[in-house]
Amino acid sequence: MPEFEAAGIAVFALSYDEAIALEDFRAAHGITFTLLSDPESAVIRAFGILNTLIDSSDHPWFGIPYPGAYVVDAEGTITHKFFDSNLAVRAGPEQLLRAVTKRSKEAMAVTSQTPTPTAGDVQMTIAFDGDHLTAVVQRDLVVQLEIPEGKHVYAAPAPAGSVAVDVILDNNNALVARSLQRPKATPHTLSGSGEEFLVHQGSIELRLPLTMNAADDLKPLQLSGEVCWQSCDDEVCDLPVRERFLLTIPVAAPPAMALQGPGAEIEPNAMGHFQYMTKRRKDPQPQSEQ
Amino acid sequence: MLASSSTYLGQTMQPDRETQATETSTGWADKDGFIGPYRPGTGPRSDPRGTFPTGPDVGSKMPNIVCKTSDNLDFDLHAQQNGQPAVFIFFRSAVW
Repeated sequence: MPEFEAAGIAVFALSYDEAIALEDFRAAHGITFTLLSDPESAVIRAFGILNTLIDSSDHPWFGIPYPGAYVVDAEGTITHKFFDSNLAVRAGPEQLLRAVTKRSKEAMAVTSQTPTPTAGDVQMTIAFDGDHLTAVVQRDLVVQLEIPEGKHVYAAPAPAGSVAVDVILDNNNALVARSLQRPKATPHTLSGSGEEFLVHQGSIELRLPLTMNAADDLKPLQLSGEVCWQSCDDEVCDLPVRERFLLTIPVAAPPAMALQGPGAEIEPNAMGHFQYMTKRRKDPQPQSEQ
Repeated sequence: MLASSSTYLGQTMQPDRETQATETSTGWADKDGFIGPYRPGTGPRSDPRGTFPTGPDVGSKMPNIVCKTSDNLDFDLHAQQNGQPAVFIFFRSAVW
Protein backbone atom coordinates (compact mmCIF):
# COMPACT_ATOMS: atom_id res chain seq x y z
CA MET A 1 0.00 0.00 0.00
CA PRO A 2 2.48 2.65 -1.11
CA GLU A 3 -0.16 5.41 -1.11
CA PHE A 4 -0.80 4.84 2.59
CA GLU A 5 2.91 4.80 3.39
CA ALA A 6 3.44 7.97 1.39
CA ALA A 7 0.63 9.66 3.31
CA GLY A 8 2.11 8.56 6.65
CA ILE A 9 -0.85 6.32 7.49
CA ALA A 10 -0.27 3.10 9.40
CA VAL A 11 -2.38 0.12 8.33
CA PHE A 12 -3.33 -2.77 10.59
CA ALA A 13 -5.52 -5.72 9.66
CA LEU A 14 -6.88 -8.10 12.28
CA SER A 15 -8.55 -11.48 11.93
CA TYR A 16 -9.26 -14.55 14.06
CA ASP A 17 -6.62 -16.58 12.21
CA GLU A 18 -3.59 -18.05 13.96
CA ALA A 19 -0.40 -16.01 13.60
CA ILE A 20 1.22 -18.67 11.43
CA ALA A 21 -1.72 -18.62 9.01
CA LEU A 22 -1.47 -14.83 8.75
CA GLU A 23 2.27 -15.09 8.22
CA ASP A 24 1.75 -17.49 5.31
CA PHE A 25 -0.84 -15.08 3.93
CA ARG A 26 1.54 -12.15 4.33
CA ALA A 27 4.38 -13.96 2.61
CA ALA A 28 2.19 -15.25 -0.23
CA HIS A 29 0.81 -11.84 -1.09
CA GLY A 30 3.78 -9.63 -0.25
CA ILE A 31 1.84 -7.70 2.39
CA THR A 32 3.84 -4.92 4.01
CA PHE A 33 1.36 -3.67 6.62
CA THR A 34 0.88 -5.22 10.06
CA LEU A 35 -1.33 -8.29 10.39
CA LEU A 36 -2.78 -8.96 13.83
CA SER A 37 -3.82 -12.36 15.13
CA ASP A 38 -6.83 -12.68 17.45
CA PRO A 39 -7.44 -16.45 17.52
CA GLU A 40 -9.70 -16.34 20.60
CA SER A 41 -11.58 -13.36 19.14
CA ALA A 42 -10.79 -11.46 22.34
CA VAL A 43 -10.26 -8.15 20.55
CA ILE A 44 -13.24 -8.76 18.29
CA ARG A 45 -15.44 -9.37 21.36
CA ALA A 46 -14.02 -6.34 23.17
CA PHE A 47 -15.00 -4.19 20.20
CA GLY A 48 -18.50 -5.71 20.31
CA ILE A 49 -18.37 -6.80 16.67
CA LEU A 50 -18.36 -10.59 17.06
CA ASN A 51 -20.76 -12.05 14.50
CA THR A 52 -23.22 -13.60 16.92
CA LEU A 53 -25.44 -14.88 14.14
CA ILE A 54 -22.97 -17.74 13.85
CA ASP A 55 -23.61 -20.62 16.18
CA SER A 56 -20.69 -21.27 18.54
CA SER A 57 -20.69 -24.90 17.38
CA ASP A 58 -20.45 -23.85 13.74
CA HIS A 59 -16.77 -24.56 13.14
CA PRO A 60 -14.64 -22.95 11.95
CA TRP A 61 -16.71 -19.87 11.20
CA PHE A 62 -17.52 -19.00 14.80
CA GLY A 63 -15.37 -16.13 16.05
CA ILE A 64 -15.34 -13.91 12.99
CA PRO A 65 -16.26 -10.23 13.25
CA TYR A 66 -18.70 -8.22 11.26
CA PRO A 67 -15.98 -7.04 8.90
CA GLY A 68 -15.26 -3.35 8.79
CA ALA A 69 -12.66 -0.66 9.20
CA TYR A 70 -11.92 2.22 11.55
CA VAL A 71 -9.95 5.30 10.58
CA VAL A 72 -8.11 6.92 13.48
CA ASP A 73 -6.42 10.33 13.55
CA ALA A 74 -3.01 11.13 15.02
CA GLU A 75 -4.58 11.68 18.47
CA GLY A 76 -6.15 8.21 18.46
CA THR A 77 -9.72 9.37 17.85
CA ILE A 78 -11.94 7.43 15.46
CA THR A 79 -12.86 9.77 12.62
CA HIS A 80 -14.61 7.36 10.26
CA LYS A 81 -15.81 3.80 10.22
CA PHE A 82 -16.88 1.57 7.38
CA PHE A 83 -19.26 -1.35 7.86
CA ASP A 84 -21.82 -2.84 5.48
CA SER A 85 -24.62 -5.24 6.34
CA ASN A 86 -23.64 -7.31 3.33
CA LEU A 87 -20.49 -9.00 4.55
CA ALA A 88 -19.27 -9.28 0.96
CA VAL A 89 -18.75 -5.52 0.74
CA ARG A 90 -15.48 -3.93 1.87
CA ALA A 91 -14.39 -0.32 1.88
CA GLY A 92 -11.99 0.23 -0.98
CA PRO A 93 -8.50 1.62 -0.47
CA GLU A 94 -9.47 4.94 -2.04
CA GLN A 95 -12.34 5.32 0.43
CA LEU A 96 -10.04 4.62 3.38
CA LEU A 97 -7.31 6.89 2.07
CA ARG A 98 -9.77 9.68 1.40
CA ALA A 99 -10.99 9.47 5.00
CA VAL A 100 -7.54 10.59 6.11
CA THR A 101 -6.28 12.67 3.22
CA LYS A 102 -8.31 14.79 0.84
CA ARG A 103 -7.92 13.08 -2.52
CA SER A 104 -7.89 15.46 -5.41
CA LYS A 105 -10.03 15.17 -8.49
CA GLU A 106 -6.87 14.49 -10.45
CA ALA A 107 -6.22 11.40 -8.32
CA MET A 108 -9.37 9.75 -9.61
CA ALA A 109 -8.46 7.36 -12.34
CA VAL A 110 -11.39 7.12 -14.74
CA THR A 111 -13.04 10.39 -15.73
CA SER A 112 -15.77 11.08 -18.25
CA GLN A 113 -15.74 13.87 -20.73
CA THR A 114 -17.06 17.01 -19.15
CA PRO A 115 -19.82 18.77 -21.04
CA THR A 116 -18.81 22.18 -22.31
CA PRO A 117 -20.34 24.61 -19.87
CA THR A 118 -22.40 27.53 -21.00
CA ALA A 119 -21.82 30.77 -19.14
CA GLY A 120 -24.03 30.84 -16.08
CA ASP A 121 -24.73 27.09 -16.17
CA VAL A 122 -23.89 24.46 -13.64
CA GLN A 123 -20.74 22.59 -14.66
CA MET A 124 -20.57 18.85 -14.02
CA THR A 125 -17.62 16.49 -13.91
CA ILE A 126 -17.89 12.81 -13.21
CA ALA A 127 -15.16 10.36 -12.25
CA PHE A 128 -14.58 6.91 -10.84
CA ASP A 129 -12.39 6.99 -7.75
CA GLY A 130 -10.22 3.99 -8.48
CA ASP A 131 -8.49 2.39 -11.43
CA HIS A 132 -10.65 -0.73 -11.62
CA LEU A 133 -13.59 -2.65 -10.21
CA THR A 134 -13.29 -6.05 -8.63
CA ALA A 135 -15.59 -8.21 -6.54
CA VAL A 136 -16.01 -7.27 -2.86
CA VAL A 137 -14.07 -3.97 -2.99
CA GLN A 138 -16.27 -0.88 -2.89
CA ARG A 139 -15.30 2.21 -4.87
CA ASP A 140 -17.07 5.50 -5.52
CA LEU A 141 -18.58 7.10 -8.57
CA VAL A 142 -17.94 10.80 -7.94
CA VAL A 143 -20.00 13.66 -9.30
CA GLN A 144 -18.87 17.22 -8.82
CA LEU A 145 -21.04 20.23 -9.61
CA GLU A 146 -19.81 23.79 -9.85
CA ILE A 147 -22.83 25.99 -9.19
CA PRO A 148 -22.46 29.61 -10.35
CA GLU A 149 -22.58 32.34 -7.73
CA GLY A 150 -26.11 33.52 -7.07
CA LYS A 151 -27.59 30.17 -8.05
CA HIS A 152 -28.48 27.05 -6.14
CA VAL A 153 -29.62 23.53 -6.99
CA TYR A 154 -32.36 21.79 -5.06
CA ALA A 155 -31.28 19.29 -2.42
CA ALA A 156 -33.43 16.29 -1.56
CA PRO A 157 -36.31 16.48 -0.96
CA ALA A 158 -37.06 19.10 -3.61
CA PRO A 159 -40.24 21.19 -3.50
CA ALA A 160 -43.19 19.69 -5.33
CA GLY A 161 -42.76 19.93 -9.09
CA SER A 162 -38.99 20.52 -8.87
CA VAL A 163 -36.02 18.17 -9.29
CA ALA A 164 -33.43 17.50 -6.60
CA VAL A 165 -29.85 16.74 -7.53
CA ASP A 166 -29.47 12.99 -7.97
CA VAL A 167 -27.32 10.30 -9.58
CA ILE A 168 -29.27 7.49 -11.22
CA LEU A 169 -27.49 4.43 -12.60
CA ASP A 170 -28.89 2.52 -15.52
CA ASN A 171 -29.91 -0.99 -14.56
CA ASN A 172 -26.78 -3.11 -14.28
CA ASN A 173 -26.90 -6.56 -12.71
CA ALA A 174 -23.13 -6.60 -12.22
CA LEU A 175 -23.20 -3.73 -9.76
CA VAL A 176 -24.53 -3.15 -6.28
CA ALA A 177 -24.94 0.52 -5.40
CA ARG A 178 -25.34 1.87 -1.89
CA SER A 179 -27.03 5.12 -0.89
CA LEU A 180 -25.83 8.28 -2.60
CA GLN A 181 -23.65 10.31 -0.26
CA ARG A 182 -24.77 13.90 -0.54
CA PRO A 183 -23.18 17.03 0.88
CA LYS A 184 -24.90 18.82 3.73
CA ALA A 185 -27.71 20.98 2.38
CA THR A 186 -28.44 24.49 3.55
CA PRO A 187 -31.88 26.03 4.11
CA HIS A 188 -32.81 28.72 1.63
CA THR A 189 -35.68 31.16 1.91
CA LEU A 190 -37.19 32.86 -1.12
CA SER A 191 -37.16 36.59 -0.58
CA GLY A 192 -40.60 37.08 -2.14
CA SER A 193 -42.80 34.27 -0.86
CA GLY A 194 -40.81 33.37 2.21
CA GLU A 195 -40.92 29.74 1.10
CA GLU A 196 -38.10 27.68 2.61
CA PHE A 197 -36.39 24.61 1.14
CA LEU A 198 -33.00 22.89 1.10
CA VAL A 199 -30.36 23.74 -1.50
CA HIS A 200 -26.75 23.27 -2.44
CA GLN A 201 -24.53 26.15 -3.50
CA GLY A 202 -20.95 26.58 -4.68
CA SER A 203 -18.88 23.45 -5.33
CA ILE A 204 -20.49 20.21 -4.25
CA GLU A 205 -19.51 16.55 -4.48
CA LEU A 206 -21.77 13.50 -4.46
CA ARG A 207 -20.49 9.94 -4.11
CA LEU A 208 -22.21 6.72 -5.08
CA PRO A 209 -20.51 3.66 -3.53
CA LEU A 210 -20.40 0.74 -5.95
CA THR A 211 -19.37 -2.89 -5.64
CA MET A 212 -19.21 -5.57 -8.31
CA ASN A 213 -21.12 -8.66 -7.35
CA ALA A 214 -19.55 -11.16 -9.72
CA ALA A 215 -17.63 -11.21 -12.95
CA ASP A 216 -18.04 -14.02 -15.43
CA ASP A 217 -15.24 -12.44 -17.42
CA LEU A 218 -12.89 -9.52 -17.05
CA LYS A 219 -14.32 -7.35 -19.80
CA PRO A 220 -14.39 -3.65 -18.91
CA LEU A 221 -17.68 -2.61 -17.38
CA GLN A 222 -19.83 0.07 -18.96
CA LEU A 223 -21.05 2.33 -16.18
CA SER A 224 -23.86 4.53 -17.41
CA GLY A 225 -26.66 6.63 -16.07
CA GLU A 226 -27.65 10.22 -15.59
CA VAL A 227 -27.09 13.07 -13.20
CA CYS A 228 -30.05 15.37 -12.74
CA TRP A 229 -30.42 18.75 -11.11
CA GLN A 230 -32.39 21.94 -11.35
CA SER A 231 -30.71 25.27 -10.78
CA CYS A 232 -32.43 28.47 -9.77
CA ASP A 233 -31.71 31.94 -8.54
CA ASP A 234 -34.09 33.85 -6.30
CA GLU A 235 -36.36 34.72 -9.18
CA VAL A 236 -36.18 32.11 -11.89
CA CYS A 237 -35.64 28.36 -12.12
CA ASP A 238 -33.97 26.82 -15.15
CA LEU A 239 -35.45 23.74 -16.72
CA PRO A 240 -34.30 20.50 -15.05
CA VAL A 241 -31.10 19.06 -16.55
CA ARG A 242 -30.54 15.34 -17.10
CA GLU A 243 -26.92 14.81 -18.11
CA ARG A 244 -26.06 11.34 -19.40
CA PHE A 245 -22.71 9.74 -18.60
CA LEU A 246 -20.83 6.65 -19.71
CA LEU A 247 -17.61 5.49 -18.12
CA THR A 248 -15.67 2.39 -19.06
CA ILE A 249 -14.19 0.83 -15.94
CA PRO A 250 -11.49 -1.87 -16.13
CA VAL A 251 -12.36 -5.06 -14.26
CA ALA A 252 -9.79 -7.10 -12.34
CA ALA A 253 -9.94 -10.66 -11.06
CA PRO A 254 -10.90 -10.99 -7.40
CA PRO A 255 -8.17 -11.82 -4.90
CA ALA A 256 -7.07 -15.45 -4.99
CA MET A 257 -8.81 -17.66 -2.45
CA ALA A 258 -6.42 -19.69 -0.41
CA LEU A 259 -8.52 -22.84 -0.49
CA GLN A 260 -9.41 -22.90 -4.16
CA GLY A 261 -8.16 -21.85 -7.55
CA PRO A 262 -4.76 -20.24 -7.90
CA GLY A 263 -4.67 -19.46 -4.19
CA ALA A 264 -4.11 -23.12 -3.50
CA GLU A 265 -0.75 -22.81 -5.26
CA ILE A 266 0.12 -19.49 -3.68
CA GLU A 267 -0.68 -20.70 -0.19
CA PRO A 268 -0.03 -24.45 -0.02
CA ASN A 269 -0.56 -24.50 3.77
CA ALA A 270 -4.03 -22.97 3.67
CA MET A 271 -5.95 -26.25 3.87
CA GLY A 272 -3.82 -27.32 6.83
CA HIS A 273 -4.58 -24.05 8.60
CA PHE A 274 -8.29 -24.49 7.87
CA GLN A 275 -8.34 -28.01 9.27
CA TYR A 276 -6.43 -26.90 12.36
CA MET A 277 -8.80 -23.99 12.95
CA THR A 278 -11.78 -26.32 12.69
CA LYS A 279 -10.27 -28.81 15.12
CA ARG A 280 -9.07 -26.21 17.61
CA ARG A 281 -12.50 -24.60 17.81
CA LYS A 282 -14.18 -27.91 18.50
CA ASP A 283 -12.06 -28.55 21.55
CA PRO A 284 -12.22 -26.74 23.85
CA GLN A 285 -15.45 -24.82 23.47
CA PRO A 286 -15.08 -21.05 23.75
CA GLN A 287 -15.20 -19.95 27.39
CA SER A 288 -17.06 -16.73 26.72
CA GLU A 289 -19.65 -15.97 24.12
CA GLN A 290 -20.14 -12.29 24.66
CA MET B 1 -26.04 -23.16 21.00
CA LEU B 2 -26.50 -19.72 19.54
CA ALA B 3 -23.98 -17.18 20.67
CA SER B 4 -25.41 -14.42 22.78
CA SER B 5 -25.64 -10.87 21.52
CA SER B 6 -22.67 -8.56 21.03
CA THR B 7 -21.99 -6.08 23.79
CA TYR B 8 -19.96 -2.90 23.66
CA LEU B 9 -19.86 -0.38 26.49
CA GLY B 10 -22.87 -2.05 28.04
CA GLN B 11 -24.99 -1.79 24.91
CA THR B 12 -26.27 -5.11 23.66
CA MET B 13 -27.48 -5.80 20.18
CA GLN B 14 -28.52 -9.01 18.46
CA PRO B 15 -29.37 -8.34 14.82
CA ASP B 16 -31.80 -10.30 12.72
CA ARG B 17 -30.42 -12.75 10.19
CA GLU B 18 -30.69 -12.01 6.49
CA THR B 19 -31.91 -15.19 4.83
CA GLN B 20 -33.01 -14.11 1.36
CA ALA B 21 -31.33 -16.51 -1.06
CA THR B 22 -31.65 -17.63 -4.66
CA GLU B 23 -29.91 -20.66 -6.09
CA THR B 24 -28.09 -19.99 -9.36
CA SER B 25 -26.06 -22.12 -11.74
CA THR B 26 -22.84 -20.90 -10.10
CA GLY B 27 -23.83 -20.75 -6.44
CA TRP B 28 -26.17 -18.92 -4.09
CA ALA B 29 -27.13 -15.30 -4.68
CA ASP B 30 -27.99 -13.05 -1.77
CA LYS B 31 -30.43 -10.13 -1.72
CA ASP B 32 -27.90 -7.87 -3.44
CA GLY B 33 -26.97 -10.40 -6.11
CA PHE B 34 -23.62 -11.43 -4.64
CA ILE B 35 -22.98 -15.07 -5.52
CA GLY B 36 -21.04 -17.49 -3.35
CA PRO B 37 -20.79 -21.20 -2.59
CA TYR B 38 -22.59 -20.95 0.76
CA ARG B 39 -26.28 -20.31 1.12
CA PRO B 40 -26.92 -16.79 2.45
CA GLY B 41 -27.90 -16.93 6.10
CA THR B 42 -25.52 -19.79 6.91
CA GLY B 43 -21.89 -20.17 8.03
CA PRO B 44 -19.62 -17.41 6.74
CA ARG B 45 -22.59 -15.78 4.98
CA SER B 46 -24.41 -15.05 8.24
CA ASP B 47 -25.25 -11.48 7.29
CA PRO B 48 -27.31 -9.21 9.54
CA ARG B 49 -30.56 -7.69 8.36
CA GLY B 50 -30.86 -4.03 9.25
CA THR B 51 -28.95 -2.53 12.13
CA PHE B 52 -26.03 -4.50 13.51
CA PRO B 53 -23.18 -3.75 15.94
CA THR B 54 -20.25 -1.80 14.53
CA GLY B 55 -18.31 -1.19 17.72
CA PRO B 56 -16.92 2.09 19.03
CA ASP B 57 -18.41 5.26 17.66
CA VAL B 58 -16.88 7.92 15.50
CA GLY B 59 -15.53 10.60 17.82
CA SER B 60 -14.51 8.15 20.54
CA LYS B 61 -10.98 7.05 21.36
CA MET B 62 -9.82 3.89 19.62
CA PRO B 63 -9.92 1.10 22.23
CA ASN B 64 -6.69 -0.70 22.96
CA ILE B 65 -5.72 -3.75 20.95
CA VAL B 66 -3.48 -6.30 22.63
CA CYS B 67 -2.61 -9.40 20.65
CA LYS B 68 0.14 -10.99 18.54
CA THR B 69 1.37 -9.91 15.14
CA SER B 70 1.66 -12.41 12.30
CA ASP B 71 5.33 -12.85 13.16
CA ASN B 72 4.30 -13.67 16.73
CA LEU B 73 5.47 -10.44 18.34
CA ASP B 74 3.50 -8.75 21.13
CA PHE B 75 1.30 -5.91 19.95
CA ASP B 76 -0.11 -3.27 22.31
CA LEU B 77 -1.69 -0.41 20.42
CA HIS B 78 -1.79 2.13 23.21
CA ALA B 79 1.78 1.38 24.28
CA GLN B 80 3.17 2.02 20.83
CA GLN B 81 0.95 4.77 19.46
CA ASN B 82 3.21 7.23 17.74
CA GLY B 83 0.95 10.07 16.72
CA GLN B 84 0.36 8.65 13.27
CA PRO B 85 -3.06 8.37 11.64
CA ALA B 86 -4.04 4.77 11.11
CA VAL B 87 -6.52 2.45 9.48
CA PHE B 88 -7.67 -0.66 11.36
CA ILE B 89 -9.29 -3.34 9.23
CA PHE B 90 -11.23 -6.18 10.84
CA PHE B 91 -11.60 -8.97 8.31
CA ARG B 92 -13.02 -12.46 8.45
CA SER B 93 -10.13 -14.72 7.53
CA ALA B 94 -6.91 -14.96 5.57
CA VAL B 95 -7.44 -18.70 5.18
CA TRP B 96 -10.86 -19.12 3.58
